[in-house]
Amino acid sequence: MTDKEEIDIYRIKELESTNLAPDDIRDLVIQTKKQVERDNDIIAEKIHQDLLKNNVKSFDIVGAIGAGKTAILEHIVEKLSSRYKVLVVCGDITTRVDANRIEKHNAETIQINTGRECALNAYHIHQIIKNKNLQNYNIIFIENVGNLICPSEFILGTDKRITIVSITEGEWVIEKHPMLFKMSNIAVINKIDLLERLGTDLDKMINDAREINPNIEVVTTSAKTGENIDKLMNLMGL
Amino acid sequence: MKRNLEKIKEIISNPHEIKKTNMPNLLKNFFDKYIKISHIEKYIGDYPTFIEPVYLEENIKIGDDVLLGPNVYIGANSEIGDYVEISNTIIFEDVIIGDNFNLENCIIANNTQLSFSNYRIKDCILRGLANSERELEKFEF
Repeated sequence: MTDKEEIDIYRIKELESTNLAPDDIRDLVIQTKKQVERDNDIIAEKIHQDLLKNNVKSFDIVGAIGAGKTAILEHIVEKLSSRYKVLVVCGDITTRVDANRIEKHNAETIQINTGRECALNAYHIHQIIKNKNLQNYNIIFIENVGNLICPSEFILGTDKRITIVSITEGEWVIEKHPMLFKMSNIAVINKIDLLERLGTDLDKMINDAREINPNIEVVTTSAKTGENIDKLMNLMGL
Repeated sequence: MKRNLEKIKEIISNPHEIKKTNMPNLLKNFFDKYIKISHIEKYIGDYPTFIEPVYLEENIKIGDDVLLGPNVYIGANSEIGDYVEISNTIIFEDVIIGDNFNLENCIIANNTQLSFSNYRIKDCILRGLANSERELEKFEF
């Protein structure tokens, strides 16, 4: 890594909201915030190139707490871990609950506890991959911190971003979070085993995703029964 | 782990005699062999960011907006300031690190006090009582 890249990476810092900036430093705060966004993108691009160079497929899995990110990953990892070397990075505010669940399916896991931060950023991921020999892995999954807002601020340099919602979150959940669906390649609508009981308008959810992002692939799944997990894996190219 | 840490402590007690080329492997071997998973259950502070693996001994104070890991060991009774980032680093016991330090591939000797702010360094052994960068005992490797 060049010195310039090192400096670029070092500059990443979370910022206070520009609305809270006093008038005399407002311009500085805005400029710094823009720089941080650019810095994240620079690091994300470096991550992407490193992964490509090493033939590692990579996925950023986003969704609210309880949407079924970990449960779906458990299915996918179970199907892949006998054939491929899989690394799963789990982002959570605290605890190692998700990493422990996934480890039972024979994947290597790394837990990031973000403390007070509500999303993983490219700097976190770069800190991990620069300490790993990427030749040792075929696939990397990054399970982002559970929410549908903050992760839209930070791309991570993965091949694809997959956003998972569940029908228990209500049929308005996609319509209310357009940013994330604009930035995603695949929308997963999970917990369809509960559809009859809840009466959620599934068609509206599918249409909302396609309206927000005409290029998005949409798949409905049940992590509980395993329904359509294979279809999701096909869309992921796995 | 304890025996290995004692060995590393002994090695860095004579920093002028250290074979510099051995140091990166010394750190890597320690983390690969002894710090495979995190031990972060007990610390005094307000939810820092941890990237596994991080091993914290007893009675460690951690400031605000701190990022620890991957590959960090911190000895007992040490204090980490605000806005600090540490990776691939061993910090022995009773150490004080000031605000906005960035330490990468470092070993900090026990009882070291870095009582100043805004300092970035990598590939180094640090020791002594320093109120500024000038007073720091620094051995690059």
